[in-house]
Amino acid sequence: MKLAGIKSVEGAHDESVWAATWVPATSSRPALLLTGSLDETVKLWKSDDLNLAGTNTGHCLGVVSVAAHPSGIIAASASLDSFVRVFDVNTNATIATLEAPPSEVWQMQFHPKGTKLAVAGGGSASIKVWDTSTWKLTSTLTIPRPEVPKPSDKNTSKKFVLSVAWSPDGRTIACGSMDGTISVFDVAREKFMHHLEGHSMPVRSLVYSPVDPRVLFSASDDAHIHMYDAEGKSLVSSMSGHASWVLSVDASPDGNAIATGSSDRTVRLWDLKMRAALQTMSNHTDQVWAVTFCPPGGTGVRGGRLASVCDDKSISLYDYS
Amino acid sequence: MASVYIPVQNSEEEVRVVLDQLPRDASDIIDILKAEQASLDLWLIIAREYFKQGKVEQFRQILEEGSSPDIDEYYADVRYERIAILNALGAYYCYRGKIETIQSKREEHFIQATKYYNKASRIDMHEPSNWIGKGQLLLAKGELEQASSAFRIVLDGDRDNVPALLGQACVEFNRGHYSESLSLYRRVLQIFPDCPGPVRLGIGQCQYKMGHFERARKAFDRVLQLDPENVEALVALAVLDLQTNEASRTRKGMEKMRQAFEIYPYCPMALNYLANHFFFTGQHYVVEQLTETALAVTNHGPTKSHSYYNLARSYHSKGDYAAALRYYNQSVKEIKDKASDFVFPYFGLGQVQLKLGDINGAMSNFEKVLEVYPDNCDTLKVLGHVYAQLNETEKAQEVLKKATKIDPHDAQAFLDLGELLIMSDTATALDAFKTARSLLKKSDQEVLVEVLNNIGVIHFEREELEVALEAFKEALGNGVWLRFLDVKSKTTAADAGASILQYKDVQLFNRLEADGVEVELPWNKVTPLFNLARLLEQLHNTGTAGIFYRLILFKYPGYIDAYLRLAAIAKSRNNLQLSIELVNEALKLNNKCPNALSMLGELELKNDDWVKAKETLRAASEATDGMKDSYATLALGNWNYFAALRNEKRNPKLESTHLEKAHQLYTKVLLQHKSNIYAANGAGIVLAEKGNFDVAKDLFTQVQEGASGSSFVQMPDVWINLAHVYFAQGNNALAIKMYQNCLRNYYHNTDCQIFLYLARTYYEAEEWQDCKKTLLRAIHLAPSNYTLRFDAGVAMQKFSASTLQKEKREANEVRSAIVELENAVRVFSQLSAGANLQIHGFDEKKINTHVDYCKHLLEAAKVHLEVAEREEQQKLQKEEAERQMSLAEKARRKAEEQRKFQLEKRKKEDENKRARQQDEDFERVKEQWKSSTSSASKRKDRLDIIDDDEAGGHSGRRRKKGGGKRRKKDKSSKFSQYEEMEEGEAEMDGHEGDDGHGSYYREEKDPAPQDLLAAAGLEDSDAEDEEAAAAAIAARRRRALSESEEDEPVEEEGKQQQAGSPESGEMQVSDGEGAAASQQHHHQDNDVDAGLDDED
Repeated sequence: MKLAGIKSVEGAHDESVWAATWVPATSSRPALLLTGSLDETVKLWKSDDLNLAGTNTGHCLGVVSVAAHPSGIIAASASLDSFVRVFDVNTNATIATLEAPPSEVWQMQFHPKGTKLAVAGGGSASIKVWDTSTWKLTSTLTIPRPEVPKPSDKNTSKKFVLSVAWSPDGRTIACGSMDGTISVFDVAREKFMHHLEGHSMPVRSLVYSPVDPRVLFSASDDAHIHMYDAEGKSLVSSMSGHASWVLSVDASPDGNAIATGSSDRTVRLWDLKMRAALQTMSNHTDQVWAVTFCPPGGTGVRGGRLASVCDDKSISLYDYS
Repeated sequence: MASVYIPVQNSEEEVRVVLDQLPRDASDIIDILKAEQASLDLWLIIAREYFKQGKVEQFRQILEEGSSPDIDEYYADVRYERIAILNALGAYYCYRGKIETIQSKREEHFIQATKYYNKASRIDMHEPSNWIGKGQLLLAKGELEQASSAFRIVLDGDRDNVPALLGQACVEFNRGHYSESLSLYRRVLQIFPDCPGPVRLGIGQCQYKMGHFERARKAFDRVLQLDPENVEALVALAVLDLQTNEASRTRKGMEKMRQAFEIYPYCPMALNYLANHFFFTGQHYVVEQLTETALAVTNHGPTKSHSYYNLARSYHSKGDYAAALRYYNQSVKEIKDKASDFVFPYFGLGQVQLKLGDINGAMSNFEKVLEVYPDNCDTLKVLGHVYAQLNETEKAQEVLKKATKIDPHDAQAFLDLGELLIMSDTATALDAFKTARSLLKKSDQEVLVEVLNNIGVIHFEREELEVALEAFKEALGNGVWLRFLDVKSKTTAADAGASILQYKDVQLFNRLEADGVEVELPWNKVTPLFNLARLLEQLHNTGTAGIFYRLILFKYPGYIDAYLRLAAIAKSRNNLQLSIELVNEALKLNNKCPNALSMLGELELKNDDWVKAKETLRAASEATDGMKDSYATLALGNWNYFAALRNEKRNPKLESTHLEKAHQLYTKVLLQHKSNIYAANGAGIVLAEKGNFDVAKDLFTQVQEGASGSSFVQMPDVWINLAHVYFAQGNNALAIKMYQNCLRNYYHNTDCQIFLYLARTYYEAEEWQDCKKTLLRAIHLAPSNYTLRFDAGVAMQKFSASTLQKEKREANEVRSAIVELENAVRVFSQLSAGANLQIHGFDEKKINTHVDYCKHLLEAAKVHLEVAEREEQQKLQKEEAERQMSLAEKARRKAEEQRKFQLEKRKKEDENKRARQQDEDFERVKEQWKSSTSSASKRKDRLDIIDDDEAGGHSGRRRKKGGGKRRKKDKSSKFSQYEEMEEGEAEMDGHEGDDGHGSYYREEKDPAPQDLLAAAGLEDSDAEDEEAAAAAIAARRRRALSESEEDEPVEEEGKQQQAGSPESGEMQVSDGEGAAASQQHHHQDNDVDAGLDDED
């Protein structure tokens, strides 16, 4: 297992790049890399040369997250002003604009089958689930508040929801909060199931293993990556090595590795068998806000691809093999 | 059978006296001698015979009788014999004196001897034998000069007088003039070749002293040939043998010593050497007996000194240091403190003193040894050790460096040097350790764990982490820890990481033991393991580090530092509950442990438990015993400082009390530790707090310089403080740069608080877009901090307002202002909606005011936009018209020019061609002209467009200028309503400012309340911009601050204040404590080595 740099684009955006995801390949085109930035734009890039395929404007304040529909036809981007814009990837036509005030918008993810879009709702301590055919809000999964609020808790921002992830079977959603707890929900019954404990600092990124629906990876500001048995509620492993916040985690499609991006300016590849860092990429010069593996399928892209985006305005592409 | 015959008086008969059958009672003989009036020489012969037979008493009796007054009278004219008798007596007493060990009796004997010699010289003062006797006596008394002159008197009379020559040789020998002595002995041998052995002894000793060992040996051998029982010769030969240091010779030498001892058991030299021998064979009882005998039989200083030395050494090796000290002192006393004569006892003395804790005494003794042997490595090393203990580091370094230079293969010397330098000069220390390590390896000796540990620690300190890792691994060697270190075998260990949170969980180790793995941790590996864990923490491998700490605790449950490190790890992961639990665990072991208490205090502070924290810190401060450890004091200072700023009601009196107290505490620490940068930083903050920016700046700059020297000290706070000072003094550019550097270098750009400072500075510098971007970044980092959103809204509002107030603005500017206003409205509305849910602490009314204001501005802006757009439109139209006009104008002009040109051309052509084909040509030219005008006009068109653009630009600008005034009027009318409101507020604020100006003013200028100011400043910026148009900057600030105090979410401030500076405390706990731990380990190692030293 190893990563090899293929291409980097300096100044890919005019400002810090904060979000990235791959838009899966369709019959007519290969997979595209979708990035969002503080410069209020969303850009599409063709692999492997990272040629700019399109620039979407229309957001105000920075773009904090992007998500791609599994079909590869539509994608969503969200900005600090709490609007979600759903658009057609090929035409950049706006399909819907979503907002659920006063809930903000942080991380988003489409259901594995594409029927729903889950959005981390920030201070509302909830996940908003939207139907992707009608673009109506179908449910709000709220983290239950502690029955007896402590007097020292002067605000409830501790359960501020930052990150969200669908299990590969689409039955459960996990979300990470500012206080480090991870909450797991049963989507069908719209019911909170349990917390996963272990972090005490914000959990900024979550991802399920693509091969094992029980295994959940979390990235936290405490510089650790945790591996949970999301159903058994237990912490399986804790991986340390980053020198600062872990901002993003993604699992490789083969399920053998995970990649992480951190404030310590590195991208790391972790071997899940050894549960240790295999490789550290230090090509970025600032915080690495997102790492994302290219989903398999489509033509034009050989082998595995990993992309990372950084506060230094650059984006990088690696070969994963 | 020899016999003498005493002639019977008045007859021919003689009395035959068989010499070996002399009667026991000498008075029989005396009677005969007296009765027969025997000649005095017979008296002498018989007395001598007695002497030879060892019957000294009889000898003395006869001679005393022979020198009695009657005899003197009777034999008055027999001069020579009488002198001889007296001389014999003198020699006898002289000998008695020589062998007498009791000083008083010795004196007595010498007095007796002197008496007899004097008596003899009264008979004949020129008798040489008398002089010789006197000389011998003086020699025995040690009066070399007088002895020499006595012998000279003899020799002047008779050059070849053997006894005098011998005496003189002896004098020269004792004077240390060995070659003179030798030549005298040689003279004796020439004159009197059959002389007895002792003469050759003298020669041998001279040769020996002169270093001619082989010749000396020959001489001694000759003595032994002549007299096989000559003890001196035997001893001398034995010494020669022993000095060769060869095993066989040594054995022979000891054999000779034994022979000598058997022949004469009282020869001190032999006794000493034998004692020496038995010392090395470990038979201490024999040593003591021998030396005691030797001491009893000699008075010779150096010999006695040697004996005492042997005795002392024996006690020393038996561990009886008090006795050893006594005898070493005796030994030193015997040689009259002349170290050059016999230096060993000084070394022993030094060692014993070192052992008994008399370091100064030891130092002076070792220094004496060093004077004699300046290149002795052992002495240099032990002196180095002594100097180090006396804190004379420079001297210690000097001697140890010398030792390593003299013997570059002495690993121990390098180790000592390394240990000495480890605190001061790590680079040299590291080199020393490395040399020691390679030396030990070369000689196949085991490298001590401590050495490797120290090498690791130095590399660690120098941030050569990988090398340090290797060193620690080498120090640890094989053991259970390898299972956790090795990535490959990690599968078993991996699950361990998961249970990191259950620090008490020893299942991991139990399971390993159940699997048949030995979980052992030898005592001397604890320190390297701890250091390795610290290193792993530094390498961010906290998982494995945690396992190691737990392993240490599993085996050594009393290892407090391991608890503290586990607590620090938990703390860095923000798991305060676990951290507190761990610290309490440590406190259970030692409830006075200052480190644990300090840490607990820090944690309580972080947990917002102010009162408790103060108590804990006080306890810590008391536990450090008279405030030797400044950490707790420092923490208390910080506590007071935070308390000063935290006060929600902002009671100025309380605030200044707290500040004063903080200042006192910082100063206290500074007095104890001049170079404590944390205290200096604190003092700087208090100074800045009071408005002494220049002094504070100096302080901070110095702290910054101090902190940059060491990799273990990281002090981002001082950068922030400096930036605050620059900000307060209006140097925004520099402040921005410093904030940015600090963020990048120390916080991985993750500290939203500093982003807030940065934004505040941009705001002040009126860099609205940068301010907004900075705030957006901060929001991205800290999404749940709604204050940041509020601030972002304010920044956008301010940007729009200031754009709209500009005299000149383009429609684009107005448009972007509108966009920002819309954003601001959205941000404020969202906050307003959120207010119902209580997700932040803002007052809804206040937010709504902002919303309304922004909306109002927005409406106004829309009008502005219409105006601007209309103007733009008009301008465009006008420009278009002008362009058209000028286009036409230019076209006309060009056409004109062209026509002229063509006319001229035609003229010429006309001239040329008129004569010939006038008519035809005219027609052709006409054709030409037509086509050229059409192309030329096209060209003209293009030119005109360019010109037009330029002209349009000019006119546009000009027009805008004109329009500016008009619009200003518009604005003033439209905004008047608002301005009134603002003025009202401003007045109110002004009052407040006056009332409490003391505190407010200070507040305002104050950079150091780290977060407060920036936060407050930004938050009340809304107030600011409402007044912005009218107020002067200073007044504005003051008002702003006073307002901020009223309606800003004070709790937020409180929080932020805590966040800023406690870092310094935290840094110190984690790193300082780690350093303390490693220091402690150095000390440990030192002790071990000190233990080794003494055995030398």
